[in-house]
Amino acid sequence: MTETRAARSPWDEMRDADGVPRPASEAVLGVIDRLGVEELHARQATAAADILTMGITFTVYSDGTGIDRAWPFDVIPRVIEAGEWARIERGLVQRLHALNQFIDDVYNDRRIVADGVFPADLLDDSVNYRVECQGVHPKFGVWAHISGSDLVRDSDGTMYVLEDNLRVPSGVSYVMENRAVAKRAFPEVFARQTIAPVDAYTDELNKLLASLAPEGVTNPSIAVLTPGIFNSAYFEHAFLAQRMGATLVEGGDLAVQDDDRVYMRTIDGLEPVDVIYRRIDDLFLDPEVFNPESQLGVPGLMRAWKAGKVGIANAPGAGVADDKVVYAWVPDMIRYYLGEEPLMPNVPTYRCQYDDERRFVLDNLRELVLKPANESGGYGILIGNRATDAQLAAQVESIEGDPRNWVAQPILDLSTAPTLIGDAIEPRHVDLRPFILTGETSYVTAGGLTRVALPKGSLVVNSSQGGGSKDTWIVDLGAQWEDY
Amino acid sequence: MLLSRVADRLYWAARYIERAEDTARLVRAHGELMADLPAHVTTRWEPLVTVVGSDAQFERSLDGHRSQSRSQSQSRSQSQSQSQSQSQSQSHGGGSTQLPADPRLGEGTEMAVASFLVSDRSNANSVISCVIAARENLRTTRDTVPRDGWRTLNDLYLYVSTEADRGRDRRVRERFLNRVIADSRKLDGVLATAMTHDEAYVMWRLGRALERANMTTRVLGVRAAEVLSAPHAVIGSNGGGVVIDDGADELDGAHGEIQWMGVLRSVQGLQMYSRAVRGPIEGPSVVRFLLEHDRFPRAVRALLREIRRALAELPDPGVPLDAVDHVEAVLRESASSSTDGAALDDAMDSLQVAIATLDRRITDRYLQVGP
Repeated sequence: MTETRAARSPWDEMRDADGVPRPASEAVLGVIDRLGVEELHARQATAAADILTMGITFTVYSDGTGIDRAWPFDVIPRVIEAGEWARIERGLVQRLHALNQFIDDVYNDRRIVADGVFPADLLDDSVNYRVECQGVHPKFGVWAHISGSDLVRDSDGTMYVLEDNLRVPSGVSYVMENRAVAKRAFPEVFARQTIAPVDAYTDELNKLLASLAPEGVTNPSIAVLTPGIFNSAYFEHAFLAQRMGATLVEGGDLAVQDDDRVYMRTIDGLEPVDVIYRRIDDLFLDPEVFNPESQLGVPGLMRAWKAGKVGIANAPGAGVADDKVVYAWVPDMIRYYLGEEPLMPNVPTYRCQYDDERRFVLDNLRELVLKPANESGGYGILIGNRATDAQLAAQVESIEGDPRNWVAQPILDLSTAPTLIGDAIEPRHVDLRPFILTGETSYVTAGGLTRVALPKGSLVVNSSQGGGSKDTWIVDLGAQWEDY
Repeated sequence: MLLSRVADRLYWAARYIERAEDTARLVRAHGELMADLPAHVTTRWEPLVTVVGSDAQFERSLDGHRSQSRSQSQSRSQSQSQSQSQSQSQSHGGGSTQLPADPRLGEGTEMAVASFLVSDRSNANSVISCVIAARENLRTTRDTVPRDGWRTLNDLYLYVSTEADRGRDRRVRERFLNRVIADSRKLDGVLATAMTHDEAYVMWRLGRALERANMTTRVLGVRAAEVLSAPHAVIGSNGGGVVIDDGADELDGAHGEIQWMGVLRSVQGLQMYSRAVRGPIEGPSVVRFLLEHDRFPRAVRALLREIRRALAELPDPGVPLDAVDHVEAVLRESASSSTDGAALDDAMDSLQVAIATLDRRITDRYLQVGP
């Protein structure tokens, strides 16, 4: 059971530099050693069969047709010690507080601009800024109720926030499904250790959504709005609705009437909807206001929301802070709105719209990761030291043509976790997406979705591009939280 | 509270899985019937295609296969009349060497029909297509249906997707059909015991019952009418099936009882029929049992009762209930047709038209996602 190590060792999540298991990983690594690869394989196969019959799938698009694939799962969990996790949790809560104040501010008073902390032109140029949302005051001043920040760990062990996903982040259902599968795969470890449960999420989400109901509504009717079966995250939409006892609706199921309320079409006529957890993009929400071609949305929905007749999570326009350029200002936002120092560091980010930073980027392309400002799912990313000359040349052209759309970051040496690959256990790069709920109070999932890049050396963890996933264990060793 | 769209998908999920189950049972019963008949008697498989209403499509699917083989190039109706005339000439020739066609013809037809009904994805009514369609419908109502229910259907889907093409061999096919039937029953069991019996569940029951009623009329209209029409179908006319005369008629005459058992088995009714009737298996009484019995769950009258009960739990069922009244009226009129094949065929056609109208009323009232 040996793990090969690259010349310059990335941080291993489960063992220290000398190969000694980290305290929180000791138990599970011990079990894995005892089981041997063959038994591990058997458990992996059982897990895969579970996933298939449970119908845990995601959809991949290729040549215009969607293919339903079983969710790729690696049976070896990724372990984080509870003390470290508690610090990360505090950092994420703090970050989302600042981000929400920022969103509320830019759609209302724009104090941060007036005070010279944030440049006005960034808002005017942002493809995610919605003028239609100006002057709206959602409950609690919160816009991004559900977010899924991507965290990565560099070779020195520092955990960074890589991006804030504030629009319609997905993956939380797989956190719960992975746990269900992992419990069957490693019952002996769960029996012996304190591993934080993850199941509470849907209940917390339900409470958060209920709190967004219009004033005076006591037993709100909650709907999850999905683009439909062809969306890659449809499985998750159904899963969440099912867990919360909410109604899973498509745009065609909803109608806004003259009283500005939203209704569902039922076998007994129209029934009111008080809160919508929407899993469709802003621009498709309401054809009367945004994309008039949208078949996914509901005409009049923005009107109902602005009139306070329906709660929408995440609020339309929340994506303005989910932008790889705006990202660079998050530490400043934390200081500005909260008067605190950031608890979780940002990855250093170069903004190509500024001449000096762009010059640095163009001079150091091979040492940087280039990211388009407004893409998700890992699309459009270029890793400098892996690109061909032709790709780099094209990149220079893209940056010069639209500098506002590009940022660059140093190439982090993503941490690895032991992963079952064929007949061996090999290190593979991982990231982590915890989910943060923000309303009157905050909640962070215990751990989150660990995504793993399965091809050797790959840094791309997106499931749409060959990524797998692992269960994430927050292990409480019952001691010294502060001196991890 | 039930969304019209979800109601629609539950209703169709139920109809499709019921159709898969019923078709599986039909093919299984026919295979059993084949085994009971003497080896030299060729039983025709083609009528099964008519039962599920896919004749035209079957023609098209055969055209592809038959292009190499001249002896099999006739359309269904042609080969039907041909096999009758051949049987007549055969009755004079006597010996098996005189069999008009390759002895494997029966087997070839069986293979073609069985594959068409079971594993042909281009046939929208095949078992596999129905399982896929049922799953697609249930997949989009996952928030309404208990998880075990979805899992049962998804399991069956995975099974049929990998196994359907192996079902050419009769024994393998039987195992396959058994699985489809058992899983469809299991799904009903899961929903009955784990799902709140709310409007969503009522839509499921409604879809099941309507499809089942439809299938019973189809089996009667095609298979039963065929056996009734056979020259010696009335059991008494050839001495209760004891005397076997030498010739074409032996299939339909002497083996009448076995044929009627086959009809009953296609709707899982043999044992309950015997219990209810406590007498010989006679055509007219089989027909009456499958139409009129008000407690046998695949008899049309009992199914209308179930549909009525289900509708009564839905809001404002007036118009669909009127349509049920109409189906019952047509059912009463069909009572006189239990001895005459052609009349039975016609009566079942009328019954199917009335059931189709009921389906439209249900759709208009509950399932249409209007503006």
